[in-house]
Amino acid sequence: MADPTTDPGRTQPQLAAGRRVLGIVPGTPATGTRKEPDRDEMVMVWPHLLVRHAVAALAVLAVVLVLAVLFDAPLREIANPTNTPNPEKAPWYFAALQELLSLFHPQVAGVLVPTAILVGLAALPYIDRNPETSPGRRKVVVATFTIFLVLWVVLTVIGFAFRGPNWDWVWPWVEWHGEL
Amino acid sequence: MNEHIDRRAFVSKAWKGGVALIGLAGAWTSWDLLRPRRGPGGGEVRTVAADVVPEGGVVEVTAARAYLTRVGDEIVAISEKCPHLGCRVPFCEQSGQFECPCHGSVFNRLGEYREGPTPRGMDRHPVRIEDGVIFVDTARVEAGPDKGAPETIDEPPAGPSCAGEH
Amino acid sequence: MQLMDRFRATAVGRSLFRSPDRVTERDRAAGHWANFLLHIYPVKVHRREIEFRYSWYLGVASAVLFGSLVASGIYLMFFYVPSPASAYGNIQAIQTEVAFGQFVRNVHRWSANLMVIAVAAHMARVFYRGAYKPPREFNWVIGVVLLVLTLLLSFTGYLLPWDQLAYWAVTVGTSMADFVPFIGGTTREMLLGGDQVGSATLLRFYVLHVAVLPAALVAVLAIHLWRWRKDSMLDDGEG
Repeated sequence: MADPTTDPGRTQPQLAAGRRVLGIVPGTPATGTRKEPDRDEMVMVWPHLLVRHAVAALAVLAVVLVLAVLFDAPLREIANPTNTPNPEKAPWYFAALQELLSLFHPQVAGVLVPTAILVGLAALPYIDRNPETSPGRRKVVVATFTIFLVLWVVLTVIGFAFRGPNWDWVWPWVEWHGEL
Repeated sequence: MNEHIDRRAFVSKAWKGGVALIGLAGAWTSWDLLRPRRGPGGGEVRTVAADVVPEGGVVEVTAARAYLTRVGDEIVAISEKCPHLGCRVPFCEQSGQFECPCHGSVFNRLGEYREGPTPRGMDRHPVRIEDGVIFVDTARVEAGPDKGAPETIDEPPAGPSCAGEH
Repeated sequence: MQLMDRFRATAVGRSLFRSPDRVTERDRAAGHWANFLLHIYPVKVHRREIEFRYSWYLGVASAVLFGSLVASGIYLMFFYVPSPASAYGNIQAIQTEVAFGQFVRNVHRWSANLMVIAVAAHMARVFYRGAYKPPREFNWVIGVVLLVLTLLLSFTGYLLPWDQLAYWAVTVGTSMADFVPFIGGTTREMLLGGDQVGSATLLRFYVLHVAVLPAALVAVLAIHLWRWRKDSMLDDGEG
């Protein structure tokens, strides 16, 4: 190693009056080395995960508060067993089911399909025995799941927004019948 | 076999049997508490005079939650409840047919199947006519006519359906 | 913070917080173990697990929404009687007379809708990450149970305002049970407490909504989180 006191490429250390250099050591910056975070490394939950969860919780609550201030929960007229509203809408999370009920026999749409969905979901880890986790190496299962997911979302949107009186097709921007 | 059962096996079997008995008792009690006390409900409802019921139209009897209509001399009481999923089915005057708002099932004036996802035609109640007054027995429900069965009256839709107007 | 330190040094403070000051990682771990609220968390996790792109924080969002539902739901319970004669009027009173009543009802409604979305999205995220694979298969099954409980909670709550929306949605929803072979009719009558939606139905749905289903959800959620904590300590590829 070049002598730092004679190396022309180096500036001389600034010395205050009355001080002298005892030695120069190679070292790390006082702030510590900056290393790339290793994603496999273990980190303390307190505080690393907790602070993130706290922020996530605040963000979720902020969304709830904004929605609650802006939009009131619906309340229709009092229940009347002698008059069914037209259209009659299920809660939005059952809109896909209601859409299926308008197409198929209730034993299929109301019993068979929901049972198959729940049993299929629960059995998924026992059906898919492929240990790979990267999407590229489990194309079949990812594609199947995505198709069903998209189908369900489309049915939900149709049942929620595109169905009007007598369950006929409407355009939601023309007449709105969605109920939350 | 029985003489070989030792104390350990007996205790093990006994407590499992005891737990099973308690579980059974709990299940039976819950069932007994929660099962509906009343029968199918309803009873005979006194409705309108028989000559009020028109040919080609229906009369709604809210007390019985039923419609009355007539074929010739025969009076038919049709339950308002859609055999599909229990919505009240209104009668559409301009088309002369029943149109369910929930899933779009359509029935003719006698509650016979026309279109939609319903598994059968509209259910009926037995009627009795005494001194010209119709009594509807709402406690008894007769399953509606089959989906494939041909319509017994020749009444095609008289006009546009009520869908879209409400 | 200095005030806090001085409080912690007192006899009361030491008895309250069982943990030492958190200077080193060892102190933090000790504090973590000593904290009742933190016992649902593991002490350490892989760095990739705390990133947004790993979980999108959908699990914690579902839990937070459930907390919001419990808090707002307890408030609403003070002003609500589950009977057809009073239920609708109670809701009107909540919206017009009760302090912050409309706002709390809105929070409850929106949290419920968002919770259904959050739980479903959480499942989808777990699926695409492949995080249901061994040894986590059973925790996925528990997750499916939690999804069902969430939907049932939402659906039973839907009847309580006793308006047209509620009455007919529940009429249609429970009529589907009729088509279940063999046990359908009985199941429906057990749910309704009669042959149609009425006062017995309202009471049953209320009890399910405020007691039975939340208790079940908390119990199953406890198992879900316990298994998550145990599994997150495994040093496998998924983490």
